[in-house]
Amino acid sequence: MFTRRSIMTTGLAGLAAGRVFGASSAPGAGVTDTEFVLGMSAAFSGPSRGLGIELYRGATAYFEHVNGREGVGGRRVALKTYDDGYQPDPSVKNTMTLMLEDEVFLLFGYVGTPTVTRVLPMLKKFQDRGMYLFFPFTGAQPQRQPPYGDFAFNLRASYAQETAGLVDNFVRVGRRRIAVFYQADAYGRSGWAGVRAALGRHGERIAGEASYRRGTQFTASMRPQVEILKAAEPDAVVCIGAYAACAGFARDAVDLGLRVPIANLSFVGSENLLKLLAEGRDDPRAYTDRLVNSQVVPSYEDTSIPAVREYREFMERYDPEPPADLVQEAYTPFPHSFVSLEGFLNAKLLVEVLSRLEEPPTRVDLERAVFSVKDFDLGIGERVSFGPERRQGLQQVYYTVVDEGRFVTLDDWQKRFAI
Amino acid sequence: MKVKRLFQKTLFGVFSLFGFIGLSTSILCVYTVDTHLSEEYVSNSQDIAKTIADASVDILLNRDLSTLQSLIDQFVEIQGIRYIYVTNEAGEYLAHTFVPGIPEEILAGDPSNTETVDRNLPGMGDFVEVGSPILAGVAGAVHVGMDTDLIALKIQRAIGQQVYLISIVFVVGVFAAIWLVNLAARPVGDVLAYAVAVARDVGGEGEDAVDARHRRVLERDDEAGQLARLFLHCLRNGGPGEARSGAAS
Repeated sequence: MFTRRSIMTTGLAGLAAGRVFGASSAPGAGVTDTEFVLGMSAAFSGPSRGLGIELYRGATAYFEHVNGREGVGGRRVALKTYDDGYQPDPSVKNTMTLMLEDEVFLLFGYVGTPTVTRVLPMLKKFQDRGMYLFFPFTGAQPQRQPPYGDFAFNLRASYAQETAGLVDNFVRVGRRRIAVFYQADAYGRSGWAGVRAALGRHGERIAGEASYRRGTQFTASMRPQVEILKAAEPDAVVCIGAYAACAGFARDAVDLGLRVPIANLSFVGSENLLKLLAEGRDDPRAYTDRLVNSQVVPSYEDTSIPAVREYREFMERYDPEPPADLVQEAYTPFPHSFVSLEGFLNAKLLVEVLSRLEEPPTRVDLERAVFSVKDFDLGIGERVSFGPERRQGLQQVYYTVVDEGRFVTLDDWQKRFAI
Repeated sequence: MKVKRLFQKTLFGVFSLFGFIGLSTSILCVYTVDTHLSEEYVSNSQDIAKTIADASVDILLNRDLSTLQSLIDQFVEIQGIRYIYVTNEAGEYLAHTFVPGIPEEILAGDPSNTETVDRNLPGMGDFVEVGSPILAGVAGAVHVGMDTDLIALKIQRAIGQQVYLISIVFVVGVFAAIWLVNLAARPVGDVLAYAVAVARDVGGEGEDAVDARHRRVLERDDEAGQLARLFLHCLRNGGPGEARSGAAS
């Protein structure tokens, strides 16, 4: 079911019991005297459910912390969630429900390019309602440029930045023949276009390409895709997909002798990918030592970073559960993950934005509040700024490889991947 | 239901004529449905290709390829459309719906050619591919592949429905023809039965002794009644010659 919903109800204790406003200063839709209601549509079912669940868990850890104190200006943050299974049509339906029936204050934490690209036109259609999409878990371009860029705010770096970084580094270590394995949809095409553009700057073209259908399981054979790319004799493969299919591709690539670095974008869900590749194998290193994943947040293993320490502390303290009524399939959450860290940082920045709203809070004031964020320290080193020409908070891309069964920061491309 | 021998040839003729009409109607129907549906599918595909081509101009010039992919992904959900690909003016494939990759047969073709072509793609099936240029071809072209197997299946279904209807009409028509022929043959049978009854009674108690059931034919005001009365008249007057003279007087 894609339309089940859940409302985060924890963290009510200790909140202000209700502030009294005059009739002329009533809050806008989605805000009461005691809470902000946010709407989220994400994958909580299907082969990509790990992405929605971990993003939700990371955000919830921070919201629970805020709600457990004094909320945001005395209002708790409630997250109304729906499952779209990473499918466009349910995400559109969920968005209609969130905007027109639930009348949430804003949309937050959507997962995926094929879903978000279909939702954006709705935001334009109902622009008189002033609805914004905050910090979607996708690096695609449509929510970063006209005609829909004005309806979304992004925190993470774009796929164009991730793919450019991967390509630049591969080329720098002598790997110029880059092939692409990608999901046959808007997300895959967005990454494909990023690789193509980056290669073009080096005077190269995509050496080979193979695609798969969205929703492909890990158990599916990727032999045809591997054979297509193997015939292109690439120096490296950039994968633009979700963890189940990308893990299946990496497995079959190793089994069929395609022994080149395999890169994945941040969207892949690194921990789930690693779990699928390593679980139950005698020699997991054979399947993971050529992986290199780009990330849009720093490593959660690096406790020298203040926000990482905070994230780890809140995840341990609140141990947020996946929304029980949405998650029907078996899923074991990770104590820490790049996706939940991103959800955590999204929530942290959103709380900062909400705290900058003038009383009474309305959607009309949201854009001003976001644009007032200048050189804000999220606690990860890179400072965040927004403005009319800058609707993406972070620009930095990190690279990670598997070492001793976990993803760690890649320090030396030359040493690891030079031909 | 036994048909009088007198009308068996007539009935056979009716069946033959009806069968011919039914068969020729079915053949015409098959041809018409096949032609029209095929043309309609190709026409719809061309419309879709043109729609994508028109929308692609803005996307290619002002936006990104993920938007273009999202656009063609929505069109490929339409029943009958199996693949779409968009190329730029240099023949580069900018967006497509093939999995796991673009077939060799298509890669070997000329992407700038937007004429309708029949394609056989191994592992995928047979297709009618239509194309539409983007910005008069200077920005590339859109190609849409329609599944001919699906089109054939739809045409077969449409034809099947037509033939089914004609068959029902034929069967109903056959029974109706038999019933009508028998209805027409019944007075002749009555006359025959009356004549046989009178003939059996010749030299007996006279025609008045014939069963009233057989005499009822004399009361009819149609040709059968006239024939029966003429027969009775002849009998009363001793033969056809007498009857002729009696009838003349």
